[in-house]
Amino acid sequence: MTSHGHGIARATRPRTEEQRQADLDKIARYRTLEDDIRDRVSRQDYDQDTFSLTSKLLRQNPEYYTVWNIRRRCLTSGSSSKPWAMSSLSKGSSTFSATGTSHLASASSSPPSSTETPPSHNYPKTGMSGTTAETTEDRQMRDLEIIKSELVFTVPLLMEFPKCYWIWNYRLWTLGQAIVRLPTHVARKVWEEELGLVGKMLHRDRRNFHAWGYRRYVVDQLESAALAGQSMTESEFEYTTKMIRMDLSNFSAWHYRSQLIPRLLRERDADDQARQKFLDDELAFIRDGLNVGPEDQSLWFYHQFLASNIIDDACSQTIAPALSVDQRRSYIEREIDEIKDLLEDYTDVKWIYEALIQYTQSLSRLGQQAKPTELKDWLAQLKSLDPQRTGRWNDLEAQLYAA
Amino acid sequence: MTEAPATTKQLHLATDAHVQYIQSLDTHKDELDYWLTEHLRLNGVYWGLTALHLLGHPDALPPDETLDFILSCQHESGGFGAAPGHDAHMLSTVSAVQILAMVDGFDELDRRGKGKAQVGKYIAQLQNRETGTFYGDEWGEEDTRFLYGALNALSLLGLTSLVDVERAVSYVASCANFDGGYGVRPGAESHSGQIFTCVAALAIAKRLDLVDQEKLGQWLSERQVPGGGLNGRPEKKEDVCYSWWVLSSLSIIGKIHWIDRDGLIQFILQSQDTEKGGIADRPGDMVDVWHTCFGAAGLSLLGYPSMEEVDPVYCMPKAVIKRVLG
Ligand SMILES: [Zn+2]
Repeated sequence: MTSHGHGIARATRPRTEEQRQADLDKIARYRTLEDDIRDRVSRQDYDQDTFSLTSKLLRQNPEYYTVWNIRRRCLTSGSSSKPWAMSSLSKGSSTFSATGTSHLASASSSPPSSTETPPSHNYPKTGMSGTTAETTEDRQMRDLEIIKSELVFTVPLLMEFPKCYWIWNYRLWTLGQAIVRLPTHVARKVWEEELGLVGKMLHRDRRNFHAWGYRRYVVDQLESAALAGQSMTESEFEYTTKMIRMDLSNFSAWHYRSQLIPRLLRERDADDQARQKFLDDELAFIRDGLNVGPEDQSLWFYHQFLASNIIDDACSQTIAPALSVDQRRSYIEREIDEIKDLLEDYTDVKWIYEALIQYTQSLSRLGQQAKPTELKDWLAQLKSLDPQRTGRWNDLEAQLYAA
Repeated sequence: MTEAPATTKQLHLATDAHVQYIQSLDTHKDELDYWLTEHLRLNGVYWGLTALHLLGHPDALPPDETLDFILSCQHESGGFGAAPGHDAHMLSTVSAVQILAMVDGFDELDRRGKGKAQVGKYIAQLQNRETGTFYGDEWGEEDTRFLYGALNALSLLGLTSLVDVERAVSYVASCANFDGGYGVRPGAESHSGQIFTCVAALAIAKRLDLVDQEKLGQWLSERQVPGGGLNGRPEKKEDVCYSWWVLSSLSIIGKIHWIDRDGLIQFILQSQDTEKGGIADRPGDMVDVWHTCFGAAGLSLLGYPSMEEVDPVYCMPKAVIKRVLG
């Protein structure tokens, strides 16, 4: 299946009769497999054969969300007569989400379709009808094995279809099962290994949007009380530094960094002096980047983030809330001077002019009047360098003259 | 296959070819991809039908057959699956409601289906009442796409009172980023698709006052690349479907003039297959119904001549929205 183009079927290029015949054979095999699974589901046969058939189908088509659901039902229709499936959970524990939202526990008792009633009543309950009762440790061992094998199952699929939502979802659900079913320290290990996998994914594709989002989610869980976690802000902050040093042009890493900073400073119990030092270091870090890559949007994004921390009034989220208005002004003045220096090497980068106008406007909000001629020049440069956004520059011009 | 033409001056929208392309979509049963994408069948009907409406040929797919197919996808719970035999999910349920609105089928839904009220109930039970966001289905995935979808469908059904709109709004607000954009959950990076869902959700809830329109407009306008197309986030390739996510968001905050209109029109027109119909993600690629829909929607929003006007919040014909919402 085409993994590009959002998973939608594209028009095909012309085929030979032979290719068409081969396609027809593939279709017949695929549909036989699909029909087989559907038959079994209609008979409420969530047994090991059905489970194996879902593996077969999902390897071919991981976008088939209903089959992922069938797989989950196979695994959770719990019974000790199904040693290949997960153990049945005690009443009241949510099987659905790592965060254990109460809503979903109730959704499970009234599934959306009458044909999809969980088949647990078809199986003898644990310890009944002659089967020996498992000990808690036995059950947890079994669940751990199943969770591990499910995680292994999805890895090659993720490598082949890194943008397929359903694989990521299924993986998260499996990991959620670890929290619900396993002792905390065992579940924690499972999640720690997951962080390792995300690291590998991001190494292969540094801008993989899913993988970055997924990383934040995994970290959230590792920090949570459910996994006896503690803050990972310092190590994650270091991680962004490492990723940025590998590739300055990584918007995802800069974004994550900006998200971590308020927490980082809070957790460090940073005093005003430490905060100011932190701000100075970050400004130096981004300036080094801008000196080599002023055409890079990611860098300007982060520079704007830092600048807004200087300009905006003190609030708990800012990096250095104790700065006086004079200090704020001189910080921005220095940034403007540094950016003007860039003009010596780069005369045709519009981001420079945009930043100059923006920061000069902020200076006037801090009580420093701008030179109208400079603003006029920069605006003229913007208009000529970036005619695509003429409408925006016209609005900006009107705003400048109104002020 | 689309060829990039030598001169772009004489490019025009190949309306007839596109209509034929959409009509032919259900005749590709000898192609494996037809079967591998069954989990998107109902969504596909929404994309095809929306495109046809915007192209001025709303009846090119027989409305009766469309209605029958949609109703055959409904479960007892009220939710819709992507095709008969597929589990109910928020995304296919929202598409079903949008299609029913386009074919004026809400009465039939009450008569032959499980009824409007049951659909509303299905959607409402997927709200996380603590945080205000929505799940995709009983398995608990959360995404701002589902929140938008829920408000979209419930507002068309006149049933927003079934959910906690205020809480949904504060959840969206918590997904806002420093750059004015929105991510898939709080703290997640801005992305054009998620921006559309968040801004459109706020528009339905009449809370656009929460959007940092200046900053968001800047970020969105920078999505236009020199070739005229728009990308989904910085330093990514342009793509026709992002024309829609970015453009509709710009339109909702009244800043569509912040990008080069003609450049974008040219980019979408260059992505057409003018002979066999359909629009691709970018010039030279094979076409699909998703990009045909969002390409047509983009052109409509840009005021391309003789097209039906599109509603930027619902991605449906304005006339339909007017009929349904009054
Ligand atoms: Zn696309």
